[in-house]
Amino acid sequence: MALILGIESSCDESAAAIIGTDRTIYAHRLQTQEDEHKDYGGVVPEIAARAHAQHITPLIEAALADADMTLNDMDAIAATAGPGLIGGVMVGLVTGKALAMAAGKPLVAVNHLEGHALSPRLVDAELDFPYMLLLVSGGHCQILRVDGVGQYRRLATTIDDAVGEAFDKTAKILGLGYPGGPQVEKLASTGDPKAVPLPRPLLRSTEPHFSFAGLKSAVLRAHQSGDYGDADLAASFQQAVLDCLQDRLEKTLREHGGMKSLVVAGGVASNAAIRAMLKTVAASHGMRFVAPPPWLCTDNAAMIGWAGAERFEAGLTDPLDIAARPRWPLDEHAEKARGAGVKA
Amino acid sequence: MHTLVIDTATEACSVALFDGDKLIAGNYAKLGRGHAERLVPMIAALPGNGKADAIIVNCGPGSFTGLRVGLSAAKALGLAWSVPVTGYNCLGLVAIMALVQQDGVDGVDVAMHGGHGEFFVQPYAPDGKAAGELASLTPEIAAARLQYNLIAGSGSEKLVSLCDNARALSLWPDARQAMRLPEHARALPAEPVYGRAPDAKPMAQQAKTR
Ligand SMILES: Nc1ncnc2c1ncn2[C@@H]1O[C@H](COP(=O)(O)OP(=O)(O)OP(=O)(O)O)[C@@H](O)[C@H]1O
Ligand SMILES: [Mg+2]
Repeated sequence: MALILGIESSCDESAAAIIGTDRTIYAHRLQTQEDEHKDYGGVVPEIAARAHAQHITPLIEAALADADMTLNDMDAIAATAGPGLIGGVMVGLVTGKALAMAAGKPLVAVNHLEGHALSPRLVDAELDFPYMLLLVSGGHCQILRVDGVGQYRRLATTIDDAVGEAFDKTAKILGLGYPGGPQVEKLASTGDPKAVPLPRPLLRSTEPHFSFAGLKSAVLRAHQSGDYGDADLAASFQQAVLDCLQDRLEKTLREHGGMKSLVVAGGVASNAAIRAMLKTVAASHGMRFVAPPPWLCTDNAAMIGWAGAERFEAGLTDPLDIAARPRWPLDEHAEKARGAGVKA
Repeated sequence: MHTLVIDTATEACSVALFDGDKLIAGNYAKLGRGHAERLVPMIAALPGNGKADAIIVNCGPGSFTGLRVGLSAAKALGLAWSVPVTGYNCLGLVAIMALVQQDGVDGVDVAMHGGHGEFFVQPYAPDGKAAGELASLTPEIAAARLQYNLIAGSGSEKLVSLCDNARALSLWPDARQAMRLPEHARALPAEPVYGRAPDAKPMAQQAKTR
């Protein structure tokens, strides 16, 4: 059994965790920056980087103390190397490099998205490759075929906004503050999902991709019309997202059958309505449904430690001069989907 | 007692290992960019991986990213080796380096590239003590406020071009010179001195300016 220190700093959560290759989570510390960014209605990169620089080492120290371990007990140091806000990524990656060098342990530079993508395997020992993954987060909305560690084939992606971004923008329109996803979900539970007529971009389209920009604009117009209550708007928005996700996913599952498991990951996967929908989709395709617990869906260091563990066991370590990457698609060979706003 | 010095606050990237005040080994590179890639390998190339009983790091003001690279590495090494980490001021080291080179001057103004075309400027007395406040100024305003005839730092040439009777000494901080700082000046808290607030407006303000 190997022990991995995981470090995460790519967006607005600083985190450190100690993970065993036996799937034990020995420690997990997380410091969110919600307070630092809330007056700005979104994450400010320089503010995020400053906060990571302040918090990351104390978090690692606390995680080691929680586990009653030292750096010498670790077998490798894993740090997020991208994609994300580069200033923050650099903080965590340089910290990881310095720890690895000082302790004489290998460095594993982890793709944050691989952290999300492999996170279900941390909590489900039965989840074998290959599997079908819906990755829904603040910066991404993709369907990927996961064939193994480092082996991803992107089957669909958003041509404009990510789904988490759509939740965050809707929250902003409704004055719910940041981060928006959980607040929109809460408000939606008290509204009527059929109250507001909203578009379902790309529904039944022959291309496999997603689109959410038009939905967000429609929410803004409906809100400005003054004809609808906030709860009905939130509920109708969430329903439109559900319909789009389901339609696009069904299409991909029809065209790429044969997968035993349907897996969801990323921050938006903590949404209960989306999880419930995915469960029925999986059942109707005779697939097993796997979703990590909500805390493992949003950004955290346990998933980085776990991805580090999987890579370490596969013999994949990295040199100390490796560069942080603001953009880093899981499938480097994926064709460019139409649209300019695609993040990966 | 061994001390590791890390300096990534400017275009230059340097490391040094001292035994007491004596330099054992060091490295200095004028990088521009790429400190996050070069720094740790540079430290690893020092004798014994740079392992020391104390770590000293340039805390700025300087490049925001550069400061964080140096401080993150310093704090991580401090944790790994269980040794204390302290800091020194970027302009303070440049002042000392200038005063050592130019014996007998009545003081030096230090000017380093900052953000948005501004310079971080501060005057220093011949004993290396600050003789005025740190400020981030446009080149023109900085030139008008100079106190001495000697200007040192990455912004010195530009400022000299804007005024009469001044001499420029192009200099970047160098970890190998850090032990020239008086002891108290290298015992500052290992916290970044950004010298400028982040460029971001709160939503309340955004709404007003829209
Ligand atoms: N319950 C929820 N319902 C809907 N969205 C949610 C919920 N909880 C979180 N989110 C959304 O998840 C996103 C954050 O997820 P995550 O932390 O994985 O994204 P990120 O790290 O910012 O982006 P990426 O992983 O793509 O780089 C935010 O957009 C947030 O609004
Ligand atoms: Mg994420």
